[in-house]
Amino acid sequence: MREKILLKIARWHATHPWRMLLIAIFLTIMFAGFASQLKVSTHTSDLLPSGDAKVEQFNKIIDEFSTATSLVVVVQGDEPRIKEFADHLAPLIVNARDTSKNEINQKKIDKINSKISLLAEKGRNEKRINKLKEEIQSLQSQMNRKMFQRVDYKIPAEFLKEHMLMLVKEDDLKNLKDVYMDPNLIGLLTNLNNSMEKEYVGQEESLSTREEEDGAFSFLDGVENLILTLKRAAKGETFSETGTQAREAAEKILFGESYFLSYDKSALILNAVPNFTIMDRELIMASTRSAQAILDEQLPQFPGVEAGLSGSIAKEHDEQVYSQQSLGYTTLIAFIAIFILLIMSFRMWVAPLFAILNLLVGFIWAMGAASILVGQLNLFTQTMSVLILGLGIDFSIHLFSGFTERRAAGESVVKAMENTFLKSGKGILTGGITTAFAFFALIVSRARGMKEMGIVMGVGLFAIMLATMLVLPLMFVLRERLKEKRIVRKKKVKPIIHRDISFRFLGRTCDWLSRKYAFTIVTSVLLSGFLIWSAVRIGWDHDYTNMEPRGLTSMHLMDVIQEKFELSMDYALVMANSVEESHDVAKDCRDLGSVARTEDISLFVPSPEQQQKRIPHIAEVGQLMNAAEVKENLTEADLATLRMEIDRLEMNIIEMQDMAFIGGKDKVDGKCMQIVGDPDNPDSPNIIQEFLQILETDNPEASAGLSAFQQAFAPYFKESVTRMSSTDSLQMDDLPLSILDQYSNKTRDRFLITVYPAGSIYDGNFLNRFADDVERISDKVTGSGPLFKALLRIFGQDGRNAVILTLFVVFLLLWIDFQNPKHALMALTPLALGVFWMVGIMHLGGMKLSMMSVMGLPLIIGIGIDDGVHIMHRWKHEGHGKIRIVFSSTGKAIFLTSLTTMFAFGSLMFSAFPAFGQFGGALFIGVAACFLTTAIILPGILGIIERSSKKAQTQKS
Amino acid sequence: MKKLLASGLMVLLLVPAAFSQELTADEIIQKVNDQFNTETSYGKSKMTIVTTSGQKRTFVQESWSKDRGEKNLVRYLEPRRVKDQAVLMLNHADDIWMFFPRTQRVRKLASHAKKQKMQGSDFSYEDMGSGDAFIDDFTSKRLEDEQKEGQDCYKLELIRKQESSSSYSRLIMWIIKENFLPVVIEYYDDNDPAYLLKTMVASDFRVIDGIPTSMKVVMFNQNDNTQTEMELLEVKYNITLTDDLFTERSLKK
Repeated sequence: MREKILLKIARWHATHPWRMLLIAIFLTIMFAGFASQLKVSTHTSDLLPSGDAKVEQFNKIIDEFSTATSLVVVVQGDEPRIKEFADHLAPLIVNARDTSKNEINQKKIDKINSKISLLAEKGRNEKRINKLKEEIQSLQSQMNRKMFQRVDYKIPAEFLKEHMLMLVKEDDLKNLKDVYMDPNLIGLLTNLNNSMEKEYVGQEESLSTREEEDGAFSFLDGVENLILTLKRAAKGETFSETGTQAREAAEKILFGESYFLSYDKSALILNAVPNFTIMDRELIMASTRSAQAILDEQLPQFPGVEAGLSGSIAKEHDEQVYSQQSLGYTTLIAFIAIFILLIMSFRMWVAPLFAILNLLVGFIWAMGAASILVGQLNLFTQTMSVLILGLGIDFSIHLFSGFTERRAAGESVVKAMENTFLKSGKGILTGGITTAFAFFALIVSRARGMKEMGIVMGVGLFAIMLATMLVLPLMFVLRERLKEKRIVRKKKVKPIIHRDISFRFLGRTCDWLSRKYAFTIVTSVLLSGFLIWSAVRIGWDHDYTNMEPRGLTSMHLMDVIQEKFELSMDYALVMANSVEESHDVAKDCRDLGSVARTEDISLFVPSPEQQQKRIPHIAEVGQLMNAAEVKENLTEADLATLRMEIDRLEMNIIEMQDMAFIGGKDKVDGKCMQIVGDPDNPDSPNIIQEFLQILETDNPEASAGLSAFQQAFAPYFKESVTRMSSTDSLQMDDLPLSILDQYSNKTRDRFLITVYPAGSIYDGNFLNRFADDVERISDKVTGSGPLFKALLRIFGQDGRNAVILTLFVVFLLLWIDFQNPKHALMALTPLALGVFWMVGIMHLGGMKLSMMSVMGLPLIIGIGIDDGVHIMHRWKHEGHGKIRIVFSSTGKAIFLTSLTTMFAFGSLMFSAFPAFGQFGGALFIGVAACFLTTAIILPGILGIIERSSKKAQTQKS
Repeated sequence: MKKLLASGLMVLLLVPAAFSQELTADEIIQKVNDQFNTETSYGKSKMTIVTTSGQKRTFVQESWSKDRGEKNLVRYLEPRRVKDQAVLMLNHADDIWMFFPRTQRVRKLASHAKKQKMQGSDFSYEDMGSGDAFIDDFTSKRLEDEQKEGQDCYKLELIRKQESSSSYSRLIMWIIKENFLPVVIEYYDDNDPAYLLKTMVASDFRVIDGIPTSMKVVMFNQNDNTQTEMELLEVKYNITLTDDLFTERSLKK
């Protein structure tokens, strides 16, 4: 049956090459159409099982909350300049529009309008006209599309001015009560000192978690700003601006820093919230390009300011660009390397050219098939181009060798084609089916990434095999016809040149190894033992940044954020069904050591019980502040009190500094150092002492300046505290849209909790800790970290299962093929040892296992088996005593096919995406290892068998 | 004489019986408690903490303890920056005062600070406060004996009593049979008895002034992924200490 089909195809090629060409062109155009629809994704979620709870949660969240993802602008420079830049940049980004589709859509609209006019003229098809009008509306909505909802880079000041006190914990309110009862400078400082001295009582608690340490830092920052403003006022500096500065000082004391500033104030973050989700690839690319263009245009106007894009959107954009560029040039490298190798081996250029052309056609078919079956290429299947290139070229080599051999032997085109299909076609089918089935074994994987890899690679290999059967032969036939025509025209017969292209050295060596089988086996055992010893020692690379491209701006800025803000933007997400649930989850997350910050709606809507407890304290603050009298000027006596209070403030901060030092709270210690100096360095600046020195010089300028400050500060402080002392209960409806949209969905019945890790999730150990911690709090948690951890776990399980299943499938196919389990096992032996050699060599080369290199293990079983299969087939065909011929001829073929596959996989090592490099590197070593085990171990095994059967025959005779 | 002989025989008969008798969880924890709470003690120790920016910081301190751990005084010797800074803990660390040499002032810390981290370490004041907490705050249950850290140990589970304010829901303790010193204590979360918060591992056991002592203790904090090492450089037991030492006034000395 198989032979009949092969013969039929061969005859068709030989007799109807033009018809075959037409069929090939039709198929290629059809598949090219499908292939053009193929999308590319670098999402981690696309690698996980589609029914996975974490993936489902993630998809629900990105559907419900566009705030689940963002484009982060990281601005660096001096504090005033970066604030100025942020104020300038934010509206430009908010108004950024996607114009990339304007031209093309306008053309489409014009065409549709013409159609509508025609239809209208005919006075019919109203339904059709309405449909076309809807189409126009849809196209128009894609033009000048606003890409971002808003840019968050400041605290919601207006809301806080109204409701700040309602958001303060009851314990803290008790302390604040003592501070917020006198708006005058001296009264405030006195109360602040009293509170700090009292605060010591509770301070130990306040500094025990990250968020509370941040609170202490923010408080000290407000104090530092107040002292600096007072110093400037006392020196008589910028008197006209004292009013503004005094108000800013009051706001900083009351609300803290209003911008999203880093601890050292040298970096600022703007969070651009998109109008689309992370799944909208086109808008991800367009929005990043657009934001980058705005930055490039604006930055020259702000010398000394640096800015770049980061966050999930920019990272996705950068990875897409890198992966596409990388795969483009790595495929080109592979093409060129294979082309040169084939020219050198076959000593002609036509064969490689045809092989490459055939491969191109097969590749289009494979991409088209992938588009139909899976719709998009994931992080793994993106490597299919080079994998299929490496594996698919083998079919062409076999077919071309067979055909040229038959033609050189003087056979007609038809006969040569028939014989080629009969001899090489079978081998191609067996090899192709074995490898394709090895890929198909991956379909049992839970992970979508692995499953799709199995489908795409298996079907891709079939597509190339089909192309090799349908396209390559017709090229041979057409070439032969052309040659014949030329010969007839020139009336000249070109002599046939017989070329011995076998590898005699390989044949001789393997023959020697089979004769010295004892030596071969002992050496193989020792070598394998050593490499197995090395293989089991290979470790897992826990630094996942090694998988990311080097020099990615988005990744570099992630590191900057980590360093300056001490948090990671690779946050975990939880969707809660109520404000109460959100509150509970967020509260538990805040206590985790691996969590830097947790944001949720309960920050802005305390529970009714909490509000009830807070109301009496807030009311008291309001009453006290209302009753307080605002003083106009500072008297001499006031100045003396001021000096005393400033002195006291210094002592309080020194004590806070000492507490922070023994408590290991470096941020608080550092901030105190900026105010009262470094105790280990007496020459370090102490701004309180500097201010005291100005006051002690007894100059009238200081008195006037501080009075001016008092006049601006006290009324504003009083007004602000009175305003935020509202005891009206706070409902969700009271929240401004910017807060509501950030933390709740459109129907306001789902709430988003964002959990920022304290460390980098690219550090494997931290990732496990963080994911375990948040998963313990809620089983609904999702986001980069938990998804990545789940992926590693599922891939580990899938990889192991796939290896076992692939081995079983391959063994079964070999058993059917050889119809002898012993021979099947013999073919499998070099492969099994080859896998150990591969991992052992990887370890010796200083490589570690990664998610991508582990993917290579099940694949190498499907790929590496071919060497043993071909040798075993040829050995069975030739009979005993022909090992030299077997390895000279078939050995050359497997050497060549191994080299082409290695070139293809090896090209991935040049990829700018190290993840692809790890994958390609592992497979490169794996293919080489399988060839070596076939060429070294198999001759020894065959030697033993030949020797024992010879012995048995001698004994018989 | 006959009576004496009879009682002597009784003793000879009873002693083996007593040795062979299995100790109950309460008896074991009582012995642990007794080991922990000597009448008075003096120690010089070295403690290494991990700061919030991940750096290691080592302190050398002297400490005095009186009335079975009810009163404690800790004075820093190194580094230079905190030399003479001192902490006074009374009523089993319910009341805590701190002296700051740079300002020459004494401040009182809150009683709730007892549950908080002590001086940036992974030990809390509660962990260091000694007293009869193991008996008063927990109900003991004996589990199957185990080898732990190479020692033949009793294994106890201590479950928090309902009226207790301890910040741990339960403890698992491995106690060396030979000397009744805990070699490992696991501390479980206040709200989640299945979640391991911290693990204390003791080592370098020596007998000082007739009292078994672990010279090195490491506290592993699973929640923060940090650890604190405390090493005893010098220790004396049952020395004469006056109550004057444990006053606000003596903090400044």
